[in-house]
Amino acid sequence: MKDLFRGELVRFTFEEPEARAKAEARWQRDTEFIRLADSEPSRLTSEKKIKEWFDQQADGGPKSERVSFSIHTLEEDKYVGFLGLWIDLIHSEAWVGLGIGEREFWSKGYGSDMMKLCQGYVFAELGLQRLSLGLFEYNPRALKSYEKCGFRLEGRTRKEVLREGKRYDSLWMGILRGEWLQMQNGVQK
Amino acid sequence: MKDIFTGKLVRLSAFDAEEMSKAFPRWFQNSEYVRLLNSSARPMQSSKAALKWMEKEAEEMSLENYYFSIRTLAEDKLIGEIGLEVVNWPGRDAFVGLGIGETDYWSKGYGTDVMNVLLRFAFTEVNLRRVTLTVFEYNPRAIRSYEKAGFRHEGRLRRLLNREGGRWDELFMGILRYEWRELNVPIVAEAAVGA
Repeated sequence: MKDLFRGELVRFTFEEPEARAKAEARWQRDTEFIRLADSEPSRLTSEKKIKEWFDQQADGGPKSERVSFSIHTLEEDKYVGFLGLWIDLIHSEAWVGLGIGEREFWSKGYGSDMMKLCQGYVFAELGLQRLSLGLFEYNPRALKSYEKCGFRLEGRTRKEVLREGKRYDSLWMGILRGEWLQMQNGVQK
Repeated sequence: MKDIFTGKLVRLSAFDAEEMSKAFPRWFQNSEYVRLLNSSARPMQSSKAALKWMEKEAEEMSLENYYFSIRTLAEDKLIGEIGLEVVNWPGRDAFVGLGIGETDYWSKGYGTDVMNVLLRFAFTEVNLRRVTLTVFEYNPRAIRSYEKAGFRHEGRLRRLLNREGGRWDELFMGILRYEWRELNVPIVAEAAVGA
């Protein structure tokens, strides 16, 4: 059977809280990265505090409604980012959020590869019916990557985010199980 | 939208640990009830011990666990318990367990009615794909009731149970969502209008 956790450029792993905290403590210092990932104000949190937070998550054990992966490159086995799923079990759908903290891996197809692995996991393994995500208008690189992966733009919250005196829209995208299956058939042919 | 917790004879009501911890020890003094319900040789337990379990498991409902008490519509009398436990989210399958502790209400259609209500809840509210149950070979009344609700026989663990010197099978039964929909066309149509 196909390895669900291995793509063309990256693989999904699970890092221990120590390693995750160490990486996040470094990534949070890149404010451009933080702004692309989140609308909350950038802030700096001690590695100890971040580890406590990951410890708490890990202590709860695996949960059906929350899945998180760490991302390693295949080539150098370098730990470069994360991907998380928030699953609505009743309505059989999920939200995905991802980030590549190591900026030398931006714009090289790593994000799209992560997303494709995630879609396979969501639709072929978890059997969910749709996958949703949100992003900001000032992140065209992400928009292009998600479109490449088959997401459709479904809506926008106009002028939601204030950055340096200018207001930007939040964008909402989604892909349905049937659309993903159709893309898989296309790929196989 | 229709009240999905109400059937023709009974309704599902909130699982109140204090009330149930008093009913359980009384119901479990009836060894016939215990044998029909459980395969373990379960000892009787105090209401205090029962309360502890109930407050932890039954009252703190998760997305995986749905416990209800069963009350008659006519007298609002507590007569039993029913629980649904999702065992496999990707497969959207859940186990159902049902017991009517008040023996005056056996063999009068109460069990079938409550199962119908629970299946409607499982398929239209929790959006499950199948519901599974196990029942013992020496409980033909329950088997008949489950068949009436639409469950089909799917397998058996042969000679699993040891009762009074004899050995008995444990039966597996299941119902799929589309089978339930075919059996309940009016309910499905009404739900579609409501939506």
